[in-house]
Amino acid sequence: MEKITAANVESFQNELTSLIEKIHTESNPKQKMKYLKRIDKIQRSISAYRSKSKLSRETKRDLIAYSFIAPNFIGFCVFTLIPIVFAFALAFLSWDGSNPIEWAGLKNFKSLFKDKFFIAALKNTIIYCVGTVPLTMIVSLGLAILLNHKVLGRGLFRTLAFFPYVASLVAITSVWKMLFHPSKGPINNLLFNVFNVQQENLPQWFTGSLVLLSMIMFSVWKYMGYYMVIYLAGLQGVNGELYEAAALDGAGTWAKFKYVTWPQLSSTTFFVIVMLTINCFKVYDIAIMLAAGGNGELTLNSTVLVYYIYQKAFIEWKLGYSSAVAMVLFVLVLGVTLIQFWGQKKYQEG
Amino acid sequence: MKSKSANTIALKTLVYIILLIMAALMIIPFLWMLSASIKTDAEVFRMNPFVWIPKNPRWSNYSEIWTKIPFGRFVGNTVFLTIIVTCLQLLTSSFAAYAFAKLEFKHKNILFMGYLSTIAMPWQVYMVPQFIMMRKMGLNDKLLAIICLQAFSAFGVFMMKQFYEGIPSSLCEAARIDGMSEYKIYTNIMIPLSKPALSTLTIFTFVNTWNDYLGPLIYLKSQEKKTIQLGLKMFIGQYSSDYGLIMAGSVLSLIPVIIVFLILQKYFVEGVASTGIKG
Amino acid sequence: MRKKLISMLLATTMAGALMVGCGSNASTDAPATDASATDTATEAPAADSSAEAVTLKWSIWDQETTTYWQALADGYMAQNPNVTIEMVDLGSQDYMTVLATELSGSGSDFDVVTIKDVPGYATLVQKNAIQSLDSYISADGVDLAAYNGATDQVTVDGSLYELPFRNDFWVLFYNKDVFDKAGVAYPTNDMTWEEYDKLARSVTDTTFGSQVYGGHYHTWRSTIGLIGCLDGEHNILSGNYDFMKPYYEMVLAEEKDGVVRSYADLKTEGLHYSAAFSAGDTAMLNMGSWFISTLINNIASGEYDASLCGNWGIVKYPHADGVEAGSTLGTFTGLAVTSSTDVPDAAWDFVKWCSGEEGAAVMASTGNFPAIMTDDVVTTITSLEGFPTDDASKEALKTSNIYLEVPYDANVSEINTVLDTYHGMIMQGECTIDEGIASMNEEIGAILAQ
Repeated sequence: MEKITAANVESFQNELTSLIEKIHTESNPKQKMKYLKRIDKIQRSISAYRSKSKLSRETKRDLIAYSFIAPNFIGFCVFTLIPIVFAFALAFLSWDGSNPIEWAGLKNFKSLFKDKFFIAALKNTIIYCVGTVPLTMIVSLGLAILLNHKVLGRGLFRTLAFFPYVASLVAITSVWKMLFHPSKGPINNLLFNVFNVQQENLPQWFTGSLVLLSMIMFSVWKYMGYYMVIYLAGLQGVNGELYEAAALDGAGTWAKFKYVTWPQLSSTTFFVIVMLTINCFKVYDIAIMLAAGGNGELTLNSTVLVYYIYQKAFIEWKLGYSSAVAMVLFVLVLGVTLIQFWGQKKYQEG
Repeated sequence: MKSKSANTIALKTLVYIILLIMAALMIIPFLWMLSASIKTDAEVFRMNPFVWIPKNPRWSNYSEIWTKIPFGRFVGNTVFLTIIVTCLQLLTSSFAAYAFAKLEFKHKNILFMGYLSTIAMPWQVYMVPQFIMMRKMGLNDKLLAIICLQAFSAFGVFMMKQFYEGIPSSLCEAARIDGMSEYKIYTNIMIPLSKPALSTLTIFTFVNTWNDYLGPLIYLKSQEKKTIQLGLKMFIGQYSSDYGLIMAGSVLSLIPVIIVFLILQKYFVEGVASTGIKG
Repeated sequence: MRKKLISMLLATTMAGALMVGCGSNASTDAPATDASATDTATEAPAADSSAEAVTLKWSIWDQETTTYWQALADGYMAQNPNVTIEMVDLGSQDYMTVLATELSGSGSDFDVVTIKDVPGYATLVQKNAIQSLDSYISADGVDLAAYNGATDQVTVDGSLYELPFRNDFWVLFYNKDVFDKAGVAYPTNDMTWEEYDKLARSVTDTTFGSQVYGGHYHTWRSTIGLIGCLDGEHNILSGNYDFMKPYYEMVLAEEKDGVVRSYADLKTEGLHYSAAFSAGDTAMLNMGSWFISTLINNIASGEYDASLCGNWGIVKYPHADGVEAGSTLGTFTGLAVTSSTDVPDAAWDFVKWCSGEEGAAVMASTGNFPAIMTDDVVTTITSLEGFPTDDASKEALKTSNIYLEVPYDANVSEINTVLDTYHGMIMQGECTIDEGIASMNEEIGAILAQ
């Protein structure tokens, strides 16, 4: 077999074409046979060359692609993927971070459901999510629709709405706590002076049953600008002709929303709900900064899952147990995401 | 006809009223913050009469905060961290996203699924094992830990990939036929096109890193490594009743993020729209 | 069998991750020469001035505002020129949490650590992060009797892991100007809690705009829940907390009548007790003796307005009926040697020095109470510039019984979490006192039964 290289491949190909021409005109069967053998040989060499060069081209292509991915992927792998695998493992172990690791099996999970603090944390986190997700969605969608009209000062409003999102929690919660201060704050002052609420009936915004409400209000306020921008982006993709068609059919504002806007926004809504749910389940800083007491504690009315994870891990050093709580958090988030995903598919199909 | 235009006017008025109320709700806490930052402690809660700007503004609050706590140091740490993290994030994410969006290679789908599956995973789920590992690597109480923590997020890759997919592949094909290497295509063609997406990612990363609390709380222990959020929290603990000072510190901590946001915001909605993070 | 397989698998995964760790260790732990230098120093007696240079890394909090860290380090270094003390400020807010994270597993380079509270101490002991000091104590003949029994309460299975160097006890601070203005006699060194309550009510002024609070309880659980421990019969590890009830009742009634600021307000503001007392509208404050040096220093520096709180005094902590006056709560701060230190002998020498008489003299000179209380120490502190000049205040420093806020127990941090939670709930009216205490009894009973 001749050695075929990138340099001489063309000359072989030319030979091949001339051989095929010759074979048609040749009458001598012996000579014909000779040509055929030669053709076969060249064809095989060429195809061997082709597959070989294809292979190396593929490898090269892969290497280039990997070189693009590597910087991020290595960091991602080391600092995210491996710890996640760890986290799954830890949930079935018993470890204090120093002494030898012990196998715990399902013990961590079994004791979870007898744990009053865990159940309170789970309950509060779910209530917080159920309150925050729809409320944020409605407010941000409403604002986006209003802003999508030609209104004066639209750009300014869009910027303002983003301020709460970019503001740091530490700074803005301290303002919030001043505004809602139970005895000195302007909100309660207003209730007292203007609405004549009795002093002893003034709401204690950061204790008891009101604390979750305060957290929900705060969170809607802080994040609505962000989701509003996402909805605004979604609205830009809505086909304007559909509105015209709907107007011709005599559809009112509500009908337009129901039959045109809402269905066209379904994928945006899906994204918003998933992001909101994930972020709500992760709530920690808001609870700590708005509701923590003098010993840094959250009570049964304000405790949330991530606080409990932190408490168990970094205060009591029950790493296995805290990982088990984290698994519950993960399963919840995953569950909600999957339900959403499935629901969206159903919606789009039907 | 007449009633219809009257209706429109009424509707417009309603829209403006709602927007005005919302705008007020969003901005009042910030105005309060600014106002309180130049008041004395006694003036902060004085409601009768309430004034936005006191007669003798206490500008000294803004100078005092630098001496009461090592505020300069905290700001320095945070600026350092935020800039490095944002640069790394932009660079590595857009790099990896290019491969996922425009190149064919082995195991592409598996690798991408690896990224995607972690987006729904709250950091808090794996923060404990991550901490244990980082400490083993000698990263405890090092600013580098926060960089490692924040710089390689799956979210960045996902977002940039969505954006690149919106850029026609024919552009890259044409460049390839011209003999451009993939690296050239990335730097000369993709990067100039991705301003909106990069701006969006910059805002997200900047805001997140600047305002992160739990991460630095776990990783940064010694006083000289703390970030502005930890410093502010500590300051609030120590000077709980110096409202003016606390508010001055808060205002100062907001300024950089707001500047970055204002610079980049004109690309922002476009960025969100084109990166498809809307879904 | 399957269990074994899974554990093995896990072990391999972890080993893999650890290897990743080791790989980068080499590059991050650059000053490797340091370790070898200190290694050789171990063999030489630390006190020998010709010994090689030793650096001790010491964990502390709030270096800027606390006077004694630098004073202790300087004092020791002056006597031991070969030793360099390197202080690492971990901040006071989450000090023990941060320290425990730092010392978990191996890889920490601290040599000496300050122990702020007993729950944190328990954590470190259980994690084997600090060494037993028994062999050093017996070798150097340290007399534990000097610590007035404090060390007995933190002995774990017969071993001691820390030595106290600072010792604080609770007293009652009061603002003389407030009492003068109200025309009420000052508190005395022998008061029951009922008398204290009556006194607080008599100086209270609830007029809007010019409120005067008769008392002030900081948001810590120890300001209220621990009062019941003063009879020496009850303590917080007992599993039954009925003894706290009268004191919660007293405080909540005071809150209702405007005698003290409400817990909900304090929590929302995060009001620091020093801010409350230095504002001049608080008549009495129950607080630890550490506040004495804070007051002296901050009034001298002008940080606190002397016209509002400059005229202060202290008296002994109020006591329950039938309990001797001078019974009070105590808390001490200790020093421990880490398990990971390369220079345990040098570290121990420093611990011994700070906790001994020389350290005590340094502590007293900065207005703080050393673990070894002698008459000299009392004289030093009471003669400090800025200490109240009345005799009652001097007398107030003489205690009869000191009960530790929290003695050692293996489950102490878990117990603390439960008590803190229900303390918060009772104080915020999220449950009644009875419900809260019943829950404490139940939950902690379950922990103790384990």
